[in-house]
Amino acid sequence: MRLDVVGKNLIRVDAYSKVTGKALYPQDIYIDGMAYGKTLRSEKPHAYIKVDTREAEKLEGIIKIFTYKDVPKNSHGVVFKDHEVFCEKKVRRIGDPIAFVVGESERVCELALKKIVVHYDELEGVFDPLLAMDENSPKVHESGNIMYHYKIRKGNIKEGFKNSHAIVENTYKTHMVDHAFLQPEAGVSFIDDKGRITIMVATQYPHYDREEVAANLNLPQDQIRIINTNVGGAFGGREDISLQTHLALAVYTLKIPVKVIYSREESFIAHSKRHSMIMKCKTGADKDGKLLAMKAVIIGDTGAYASWGTNVLRKAGVHITGPYYIPNVVVDSYAVYTNNPFAGAMRGFGVTQVPIAHEQQMDILAEELGMDPVSIRMINMFGKGSVTATGQVLTESVPLEECLEKVVEGMDFYHREEEAK
Amino acid sequence: MKDIKLNVNGKDYTLNVDENIKLLGLLRDELGLTGAKEGCGEGECGACTVIMDGETVNSCLVMAFQADGSNILTIEGLEQNGELHPIQQAFIDVGAVQCGYCTPGMIMSVKALLDKNTNPTREEIREGISGNLCRCTGYNKIVDAAELSIKYLEEGRR
Amino acid sequence: MKKRGKGIGISFYGTGYGNGFPDVSKAKLRLHDNGKIGIYVGATEVGQGAKTALLQIGAEILNLSTENLLFISEDTSLMPDSGTAAASRQTYNTGNAIKIACENFKDKLIEISKEELGLNSTHGLMVEKGEIYLEFFLQKRISFKELVNKYGDGTIEAEGEFIAQTVEMDPETGQGAPYWPYTFNACGVELEVDTLTGRVEILNVRFAQDVGRAVNPRLVEGQMDGGFAMALGYALFEDLNLVKGQIKSNKFSRYLIPTAMDMIDVEKILIEDPEPTAPYGAKGIGEPVMIPVAPAILNAIYDATGVRILELPVTPERLRKAMDTKKNEGNFNMELNALKR
Repeated sequence: MRLDVVGKNLIRVDAYSKVTGKALYPQDIYIDGMAYGKTLRSEKPHAYIKVDTREAEKLEGIIKIFTYKDVPKNSHGVVFKDHEVFCEKKVRRIGDPIAFVVGESERVCELALKKIVVHYDELEGVFDPLLAMDENSPKVHESGNIMYHYKIRKGNIKEGFKNSHAIVENTYKTHMVDHAFLQPEAGVSFIDDKGRITIMVATQYPHYDREEVAANLNLPQDQIRIINTNVGGAFGGREDISLQTHLALAVYTLKIPVKVIYSREESFIAHSKRHSMIMKCKTGADKDGKLLAMKAVIIGDTGAYASWGTNVLRKAGVHITGPYYIPNVVVDSYAVYTNNPFAGAMRGFGVTQVPIAHEQQMDILAEELGMDPVSIRMINMFGKGSVTATGQVLTESVPLEECLEKVVEGMDFYHREEEAK
Repeated sequence: MKDIKLNVNGKDYTLNVDENIKLLGLLRDELGLTGAKEGCGEGECGACTVIMDGETVNSCLVMAFQADGSNILTIEGLEQNGELHPIQQAFIDVGAVQCGYCTPGMIMSVKALLDKNTNPTREEIREGISGNLCRCTGYNKIVDAAELSIKYLEEGRR
Repeated sequence: MKKRGKGIGISFYGTGYGNGFPDVSKAKLRLHDNGKIGIYVGATEVGQGAKTALLQIGAEILNLSTENLLFISEDTSLMPDSGTAAASRQTYNTGNAIKIACENFKDKLIEISKEELGLNSTHGLMVEKGEIYLEFFLQKRISFKELVNKYGDGTIEAEGEFIAQTVEMDPETGQGAPYWPYTFNACGVELEVDTLTGRVEILNVRFAQDVGRAVNPRLVEGQMDGGFAMALGYALFEDLNLVKGQIKSNKFSRYLIPTAMDMIDVEKILIEDPEPTAPYGAKGIGEPVMIPVAPAILNAIYDATGVRILELPVTPERLRKAMDTKKNEGNFNMELNALKR
């Protein structure tokens, strides 16, 4: 196939604006007469709350303080609508939004935040997903803490282990981390010349934002307009709603432009995290190193809200075998609520966590069998026509062997193995 | 409030500034120069880097009044008569830009480095930009851009 | 003492929302004044290069240079929904939607040109460089500009929609075809561990990434460097320091992400094996580039030291403790009533 444009190192279309500082991020947008907004967030991980904004409202320069009472429909979320725009009765994590202060300057908004009285009636929290799975643990949501359970049942697992010459079993643990994109969340809202509520924001999915904002304000979608500015990195951290609805509510009510900028510290508590996972893996192989069985339990801490927890733990469960053909597989993958920061999408979406387990399992097995790490992978890895643990046939474009060969070629793995012997 | 005089990108300003505002706030909110970004507010990320009297500073850590009498160069001051600075051109040519939020600060750090050391090694470049965080590029293409800048600058000098 | 080791990680990654959920991308094309074609898609540029790579796909199909294309992707009142910029799905899904929209648009131009040129059939009509012409009688030709002058700005338009094929998995057995396509890669790392301090230094990296086809190789390389850096931070130092639900490391002075000094040059190898259902064979790689790196580092640490670190991150303290006690660090018993049910 002769290609003229595809395959060429075209200069990025946005490069010029970015090297000159002309590219606009929401922080860089100023509108005459705009007000500023600041969010009051929970300081407790699990508590019933009562909020009193009266003193704060009296401050000169404060325009309005929004709470749950002002939101037509107070629930949102990418899969389950388990987030509240502003918490009404209960907070489930540190950082839960409680109120949104709009004032003439950022400084007066900050003063107002200090004057809002939140009475916390603290509840016992649960921070360990293993403990959270116990029925007697505090419940983060009424529905119980086990939010999702994904299963694979393939082949005969008992038989697989019975026929195995080597079996290794280990428990691995990964931690919650942050996207740490360089541009903290920010946005500006105004009413456009057609009367539409317009939000300028850096987001991964403007149409989703529109849908969610419209639902929360109980307005038709065509009255909401999302303008995506330049986005200062995302990596999954800009999928959930952060300040979009706050800005929309403010401009809808007040009819003046409003701007919000999160500090780095607020950014850390505002958006989702990578799921921490506990992964217990048992892997068996015959004496030649052919994989025969894998049994895996994955427990993912989705924190206080579901976000993408179902999809992340599903994707983790599908991928925990690694890119290897295994005839007998049992997987149980759980997403569990805790009072930790909520976990959602982050680059790799559950598949970044599972190789911490499956790739170490492969090396440990290889060592038990007196094999080298490359050979054990070569004889088990997916190729064209392989069948995954979910029964899917990989019909085309499976160049994994070539990938590994190219890596090994320049690194002398075999040579080193021989030296070691 | 305090009266200050400073030169930004070759232009003289006499301003009456709030004692509490930072140089970054002055540049962005008062002068409309939004190329320098705030990424952390504590001098850790370098997105707000500008050159003050020949040295890079985190403009989020410098009080506006401390800039009294100084010469400031920001990303907006690099392009001359519609022509990009060689470092800007190099960033474009090697693909050193992704989300772009760190880019202005990164370019200012590369400029300050090359102003002092016209032929740094790759390691010296890494050190020179180590105060500027980037979450997208893994820095390697930025180091490539700095190397290409050396070449462009040499060609320009000839 | 310094000890060296090498490690490998390999991985696969399924693109898209998955599990039978309709993964839809839409694109719209319009012919504008001055003969430029506008591509309208809701595909976000988050820094990954969507605006550039997707434009390249459109330019290829329309036989135009990218300067003659407009890319409108920022305003929900103007563009159709092309799904989220996530799940490594934009190149594959929205790339396909653009390809379909471009083909429909070409068909439409050819149909209109047949009428305008007074021909009996569309046979032999070609679209190239802003013109429609009859390939065996070149005098029969009409330019985009002439068409837009006659029909008006934005009135000639076409749409395209692409839905990825996935099959919902059985809730009891997990059997199904949850994602498509899958993307593969391998990473090899050589590193050095300072046994006194527990610090890890990366010495050498080879990283091979299946891309199907690289739409823009330099953008792919940028993703690979960035993915490596993010995985390096994940494996070795990033830590929120979570205490009873509170993030103690909530600023960059405490939450350490890699700097230029922590990174090294990565030997990047692009493996092309075009995926038949993808636009020109191109698969998404934004997420895959992060995945095999951390396990390669962990395996290399074992190779160097003889201890397995089963819990991330591999901080110097954790690694030193493991080396001192010669015990694997982080292994713990996960027997819990909740799991026995």
